[in-house]
Amino acid sequence: MGILLQTIVAGLLKGGLYALIGIGMTLIMGVMGIINLAHGQMMMVAMYIAYVLNTMGVDPYFSLLVAMPTLFLLGVLIQKYLLNPLIKVDTILPENQVLMTVGIGMVLTEVIRFIFKSDYKYVTTSYSSATFFLGGISFNVPLTIAFFIALAFTAAMFWFLIKTDLGRSIRATAQDKDAATLMGINTGRITVVTMGLGAALVAAAGCLLAPVYYIFPDLGGPFTAKAFVITILGGLGSTVGAILGGITLGMAESLGATYLGMEYEDIVGLAIFVAVLLFLPGGFKRLTKV
Amino acid sequence: MRAYPKGLLTVAVLLLAVVLCGGVMAAENVKVGIVLPLTGAQAKFGEIEKRSFEMAAEEINAAGGIKGSKLELLFEDDTGKPDVGRAATEKLISRDKVTVLTGGYSSAVTQAATAVAQQFKVPFLVTTGSADEITEKGYDYIFRINPTSSEYFDPFETLIQKAGGIKTMALLYENTQFGQSSAKDVEGAAKSAGIQVVVKEGYQAGAIDFKPILSKVKGAKPDIIYMVSYVMDAALLMAQCKELDINPKMFAGGGAGFTLPEFQQKAAAAADLVYSATLWSEDVPYKGAKEYFNKFKKKYNSETEYHGAEAYGSMYVVADALKRAKSFSPNDIRDALAATDMMTAFGPVKFISYGKKTQQNKLPNTFVVQWQKGKMETVWPEAFAKKKYIFPTPAWKDRK
Amino acid sequence: MKKTPVAAIVAVAALALLPLVLADNYFLHLLILFLIWVIIGSSWNIMAGYTGQVSFGHAAFFGTGAYTAGLFVMHGGFSAWWGMAFGGVAAMLLGLPFGAICFPLRGAYFALASLALNLILMHLATIAERFTGGMQGIMIMPTFVSKVPYYYITLGMAVATLVVVQSIIRSKWGYYFVSIREDQDAAESLGIDTNRYKNVSLAVSAFFTGTAGALYMNYMGFIDPHVVFSLHDYSVMAILVAIVGGVGTIYGPAVGAFIMVGLQELFRSGFFGLFKYLGDRTGSETFTQAMEVVQHAHVLVFGILVVVVILFLPNGIVGDWGKIRKSVFRSKPAA
Repeated sequence: MGILLQTIVAGLLKGGLYALIGIGMTLIMGVMGIINLAHGQMMMVAMYIAYVLNTMGVDPYFSLLVAMPTLFLLGVLIQKYLLNPLIKVDTILPENQVLMTVGIGMVLTEVIRFIFKSDYKYVTTSYSSATFFLGGISFNVPLTIAFFIALAFTAAMFWFLIKTDLGRSIRATAQDKDAATLMGINTGRITVVTMGLGAALVAAAGCLLAPVYYIFPDLGGPFTAKAFVITILGGLGSTVGAILGGITLGMAESLGATYLGMEYEDIVGLAIFVAVLLFLPGGFKRLTKV
Repeated sequence: MRAYPKGLLTVAVLLLAVVLCGGVMAAENVKVGIVLPLTGAQAKFGEIEKRSFEMAAEEINAAGGIKGSKLELLFEDDTGKPDVGRAATEKLISRDKVTVLTGGYSSAVTQAATAVAQQFKVPFLVTTGSADEITEKGYDYIFRINPTSSEYFDPFETLIQKAGGIKTMALLYENTQFGQSSAKDVEGAAKSAGIQVVVKEGYQAGAIDFKPILSKVKGAKPDIIYMVSYVMDAALLMAQCKELDINPKMFAGGGAGFTLPEFQQKAAAAADLVYSATLWSEDVPYKGAKEYFNKFKKKYNSETEYHGAEAYGSMYVVADALKRAKSFSPNDIRDALAATDMMTAFGPVKFISYGKKTQQNKLPNTFVVQWQKGKMETVWPEAFAKKKYIFPTPAWKDRK
Repeated sequence: MKKTPVAAIVAVAALALLPLVLADNYFLHLLILFLIWVIIGSSWNIMAGYTGQVSFGHAAFFGTGAYTAGLFVMHGGFSAWWGMAFGGVAAMLLGLPFGAICFPLRGAYFALASLALNLILMHLATIAERFTGGMQGIMIMPTFVSKVPYYYITLGMAVATLVVVQSIIRSKWGYYFVSIREDQDAAESLGIDTNRYKNVSLAVSAFFTGTAGALYMNYMGFIDPHVVFSLHDYSVMAILVAIVGGVGTIYGPAVGAFIMVGLQELFRSGFFGLFKYLGDRTGSETFTQAMEVVQHAHVLVFGILVVVVILFLPNGIVGDWGKIRKSVFRSKPAA
């Protein structure tokens, strides 16, 4: 029983972080209809920002305030100068934008490797492995904080998408780009803002992950993979779906690790992904309707 | 745009020139080809080894070189990939015409590179690649200075016996060549020592959260947790063992990550009292070990560890064989290497056959170290111990 | 472009005669790598470039082919050359059910499913230690010491791949493929069984990629799951080879393969030793440092190349050849 509870708690806390990674991706996928295969790499960049600030004595939670705007800017620049120009170009493959994100991901990884080498870096905090116990179950403090911050960000995103003009424009663009354009929405600008927001959100995830993990240039790839699994689980463009998707993935990985074996951790996530693609195309969004 | 074709032409001509005159370099030197990962994820160790090779070669050249000629090192980057390593080895042999090869970091690259060397009959002294198979193929041009991965656990067997009270083991290992083969060997060794393996789990390097598997370990209450992990996974494993309040009698690392300073820095207090197997430390009782460590530190202003010592030792072994060889023909060098019997900073080197292995160096001792108060101390075998080992490991909450 | 261009025939003839003039193992090795990439790039291209089904997981087929060859040795004690006969078939057998299940998914979903297939196989091959040897990999002693036999085998396969791709593209199938890529709904309304032809293109693609994998096993003599199922080194590289050369063109992947293999070696070796040579000659540290910078930049260059190609030559070097020629030609008188 203790093992089961501990596994569930571990999965839930990790799931919160996954949700935050997924929200950014789901926004981008929903609005632009492309998968951003540089998503994890953007998180990696944010983690390096947290690392550099940390060497100057800044707490990773405060580095959120620097990393998020920086990544917002990076996302905006990428969308504006690298992705949007492709829409106008006549090409054989519509996937050119996706392929472009692969190239961007490589450039981000290699530029970081160039600057910081391949060495493992880590953020030192006094609370990295701080824990509290509830009924014999251990809770990692930074992961618990990350979980609640992730929830807060999701709530904020939800409110933003429902209540603000910009948010409504984003949703309109996600639903029907042509109609949105006809309604006078500058969809070019919307895609730019969305990419910026997506990047900022994954930057937040990176800063929250930094105290409990470590940092190296190649960490982007696996997280990109997780991000698209979450997004497909949750349904494109659905913030609530992303939360459910993130937590599902976190739980599935944890339960799989405990009851199947840790080496199956990644396979479980991928298997769920394939199952959802086949049996529940559209993801949890089909069930939750938001 | 205007100067574009012209620029392109210049580059092409330059390239052609380089390709053509690449071969006509100074010929009086003895060329030693070295295959190492200089870029990519393993570059950190590639760098340490490269510096150690260079330092050794400088010393040898300063002391008169090889029969009047100087050692010239030709490094090739294998980027950690077997196919690139193979190409690099081929280039060293057929274009650079090296007399002897050394290096070889990851097992995968080393396997590919040694196969090439064997085919072309150029002697190759393996420095680091630790898969048992490398010297089990009967390749007569391949020699290996480092012990194989199955030998890392050896000193623990005697230590466990001496310490007593260890009956069950949890075995966690990364799913890499090193991890999987170590796990197999450790499991076998544990069984024959009468220790029951209660949990045996592999994992993908780079996991965020080991708590699911660790809670299973906690439930099984093993006396020893033996982990084969690379540095950051090692740090996370220990930190999370502390978080989950897991208290075996002994935390042990199977080399790889547990001896690096970064492990201790990242895991901080959780690293304390963790044991690890190691092949070498600056305290080993071999002539030149301490000097090598200090010289490296002075020259490069950074620390070295056992990989560096392997490289440093390899260079001296190669130089020694070249000096003794009747000529610089591959066959004579091979014979000279086979007759090697010398002491290096890494330890005594003599290539022998045992088990299925041929031309394999066997170190008389591998060591167990323990982190004590933030410092790594050699604690086993007793004859070489700098500090007494602390056993059993006290529970987390009883530590200060 | 209806007939096989003279340039292609000349190129093949030149390649066939090359070992007679240049017996240098190192160059032959690079050429073999280049030819292997011609095979993989062309295979990817027939499915993605012509049929529009972008795969992010071609390493799944490559690895399956390589492991077929390896497992023949490991379990049966047979020669790894049997893999050349069965590796492609095994990859096809993997591809067909995958296609049957996943082709109803469109666009990005299909791409993601192929990526997942790739990763799942990589993990399974790692875990199934008893069956695959796990991360210890499979090692064989290559049959030939000389590169020349490998060179001709690879050249033969590369030519065969190009000929088959070309004849398929010019056949009825080719038109079906392109019509699926251009507008799947329109193709269906014309009575084309789109799923069937997607599977045909997948089968051809998987077959050649798998055979290339088996060839790799024979030639390299060593495989492990992270080598042959590598997302980065095979799945992504296959895409890069095709888009740099030209998606949906017959000779594009060959051009792309030449550029990518050449660039990788150029940077890895520090411009074929140029910097080291200059450094040794002048005794200047600057060149040695420059070499390190260049070596560390080799993947970065790939990334930048992709970004630049997609941005300025979205149809690749072959696809946008007219554009390139025009801009180069225009600048010629001034230069």
